[in-house]
Amino acid sequence: MIAGNSAGVMADTSADDRYVEVQGLVKLFGTDRAVDDVSFSVPKGRFLTLLGPSGCGKTTTLMSIAGLHSVDAGRISVGGTVYTAPAEGQFMPPERRDIGMVFQSYAIWPHMTVAQNVAYPLEIRKIDRAEIDQRVHEVLHLVGLGTMADKLATQLSGGQQQRAALARAIVSRPRLLLFDEPLSNLDLKLREQMRLELKRIQHEVGITSIYVTHDQAEALVMSDEIIVMSKGRIQQKGGPREIYAQPVNAYVSNFIGVANLLKGRVVTATSAGRGEVEIAAGGRTARLPCLLRAGMTPGTEVVLSVRPENVAASRQNGGSACLEGEVIEAIFLGNSVDCRVRWGDFEWKVTAHPRAGLKAGQKVYLRLDPEHTLAVHP
Amino acid sequence: MLTQESIATIIVSVIVAAAVLLPLFALVVSSFQVMDASGFSTTWGFENYTALFNDRVIHKAFINTLLISSGSTILATFLGVSLAWINARTNCPWRDRLEPYNLIPFFLSPFVGAIAWHNLASPRIGLLNSWARDYLGVPGYLINVDNIYGVIWVTGIFFTPLVYLFVVGSLRRMDPSLEDSARTTGAGLLRTTMTVTLPLVAPAILSGAIIVFVTSAGEFGVPFKLGAPYGWQTLTTQIFSKAVGDDANYYLGSAMSMSLGIITAFFIWVQQRYIAPRSFTTVTGKGFRPNVIELGRWKWFAFGYNISFIVFAVVLPILSLIIVSLHPVWQGRIIPSAMSLNNYVKTLFFWRPDSIQAATNGIYNSFILAFLGATIAMILSLVVSHMIHRTKGFGARVLDFLCVVPIGFPGIVLAMGVLVTYIKTPIYATLWIILLGYITRFFPYGQRNISSVMLAISEELDQSSRMAGASWFTTLRRITIPLLKPGIFAGWVLLFIIFLRELSISIILYTSGTETLSVGVYYLSNYENEALTAALSMTQTVILLVCILIFRRVAGREALTA
Repeated sequence: MIAGNSAGVMADTSADDRYVEVQGLVKLFGTDRAVDDVSFSVPKGRFLTLLGPSGCGKTTTLMSIAGLHSVDAGRISVGGTVYTAPAEGQFMPPERRDIGMVFQSYAIWPHMTVAQNVAYPLEIRKIDRAEIDQRVHEVLHLVGLGTMADKLATQLSGGQQQRAALARAIVSRPRLLLFDEPLSNLDLKLREQMRLELKRIQHEVGITSIYVTHDQAEALVMSDEIIVMSKGRIQQKGGPREIYAQPVNAYVSNFIGVANLLKGRVVTATSAGRGEVEIAAGGRTARLPCLLRAGMTPGTEVVLSVRPENVAASRQNGGSACLEGEVIEAIFLGNSVDCRVRWGDFEWKVTAHPRAGLKAGQKVYLRLDPEHTLAVHP
Repeated sequence: MLTQESIATIIVSVIVAAAVLLPLFALVVSSFQVMDASGFSTTWGFENYTALFNDRVIHKAFINTLLISSGSTILATFLGVSLAWINARTNCPWRDRLEPYNLIPFFLSPFVGAIAWHNLASPRIGLLNSWARDYLGVPGYLINVDNIYGVIWVTGIFFTPLVYLFVVGSLRRMDPSLEDSARTTGAGLLRTTMTVTLPLVAPAILSGAIIVFVTSAGEFGVPFKLGAPYGWQTLTTQIFSKAVGDDANYYLGSAMSMSLGIITAFFIWVQQRYIAPRSFTTVTGKGFRPNVIELGRWKWFAFGYNISFIVFAVVLPILSLIIVSLHPVWQGRIIPSAMSLNNYVKTLFFWRPDSIQAATNGIYNSFILAFLGATIAMILSLVVSHMIHRTKGFGARVLDFLCVVPIGFPGIVLAMGVLVTYIKTPIYATLWIILLGYITRFFPYGQRNISSVMLAISEELDQSSRMAGASWFTTLRRITIPLLKPGIFAGWVLLFIIFLRELSISIILYTSGTETLSVGVYYLSNYENEALTAALSMTQTVILLVCILIFRRVAGREALTA
């Protein structure tokens, strides 16, 4: 009994780890590979974000999972049920996939009240009236629209429409929630508030979610895991901290947050993933200690990636490891000073402490923290 | 995968393709069959086409058609552009109130307009001419509309709203800063108008002009009333006599129809392909408050000009119909003592033994055709629009193309095609064949009405219903149709109006018992007298005016610009 039980749990756990499974997804628009061999999985109950600029294939991937269009190759399954698999001749129509979806335009039906909008998925599932009313009531309270039930959709503000759309997506307790840039039409303040609100509600209902956005801050705040996409391909998958601190390539480094990116070449490499990279800019050269990614050996062409907050700027010469440059702009932001420092023909972005007292035209010495200086693939 | 959606797409595509392409195909085939002298057998050949140049009557009809279309286009464009400019861009008094009246001729029957103008300005019995004789002492007559100029005059004023609608929309939606910036560079009002405003509106003017040219070329009623009896045959009147006359020759009729159809389809193709897209590059969809030009004292001239148009296009024709219809026989003079409603009794009271069947049947049949036709056409339009805009791929593009094709062919041409296609089937000589002709020719208008609304509705509204678990059909029923209601209703009323006054399809396809309202008018005009004709014309006009009132209530002016 015990053995059987634990085996069952084991099997469940591994199935739950790959609750949503996307394998080798390909979608062509004409000859353009909008999604090019994308594979990933999402554990049950987790919040995954597909992040990238417009045209990177993130929305196309989401629409493929929703079943709102067909795919050219690959396999999509949720909780063991195959949704899309052209090789096996499988395509489940969208209405049978049991997915809740929140659209960019909210897509709240203007000819119905809020309550009618939210009740719709339950009516489709032929649930009896009393339970529908009960559940609509509950979910409207959950999203903070308890008093708006009888308002027409057109009488709601943007943020309220967003909440109504969310209520409609979760009311039927679907197997999966999909979000297509749901906050991009809101103003900044509301957007920041709704990020946390969405995250709270998702956590409360515990539905596995896939979220599409081009806003890196949104992705960092909300996600358990982030997939960075570009040109139809996955660039990196990882937790928010990992993506930020250990980008695999220059693209991810540049897309997430701000980074100084310089082309260079590995000159020495040690087994512990450390080494030195030589960089050059307008006649100036330097050898800087840094972290290397696996497989980087002397001679490998790399890009050095350093976040502005990991560059220390000082007016005192700190020794040979320092880069000597000139401040060309210093913008006071209250708790920090954003500087641009010219070194050769490269401009370093540096976040300095106000007490350093940097001003334009001054000579300055930059020291890079070797633990946060990364050699990444170009 | 046979989903509800794909099954519906296949069925509807096949129906639309069959309805649109079969008649045209039959027309082509039939146009190459040459009837021999005995009239019983045919051989293949091009003689039907060479007859366009060799047969003196047909050749002349062809030339007349071109002259009438060109003349009407020039007249309608001049009137349409000037009236649109006065209404959209000047401080002409009461211009908001004038606009609906400028559009009325759009809804009325040009055939009835021709009848009315015949009674106004025919040399002998024209009311205006008899007044001129009595009060001004003019010998003979003052004006004569029973000739090619009369045809151009009536066609021109009745199609003026087509140009007006295109141009007024373009003038209203134009960003005023485009003109303002020209003024700030030092260009005067005239220079700005000529170098900025006019070029920007040019695509709209050209579109309107082409539509008028094509519609005039396909117009049957006006040349039939004012041209043909006085020696001015046109292609349409010739096609008509080849379809139903004593010298019936469907094959020759088909060739004439094809020739006319190729010309009109070419113009429509140019308009759709090159001109319509250009009018969007300069005119954004945003609502602007257009620049209004202060006319000073000239505003009363503008007002008078607009009022004159309404008098000539609406007031005088309707007045003449009322007056004539009250007389037992119309002889050009108002005789108050002879007036009665007898003509209305004869044309409306179908239960009376002295009622005229062609008229009473016509009213009854037209209501059935208009109701059924508008309903079926709108259902078809709805499904077709949904497929064009909500599914991508080859099928959608084919359907989109099929929806433009009928617009390129005049009603009488398509009716010839329908006639030669179905003449040996049981639907020939029934109301069904007329219904088929109506729907095939006019469903694109309904489809455009729905499409314009559908384009404004986010696709995500449909998609979110699918994601909520609703099937394609449920989504259509519970989300798409309710959202499209205004467009559906506007399209329905528009088609209802078009079908109530339709003549050129009905005249080819009717037989005794399946007369329509306009065919009834034709019958009375041909076999009875002008007074009875005027009575039925007036009846039709009143019905149409009531429909316009309803249409304006529910649809507003935007829905008209199909």
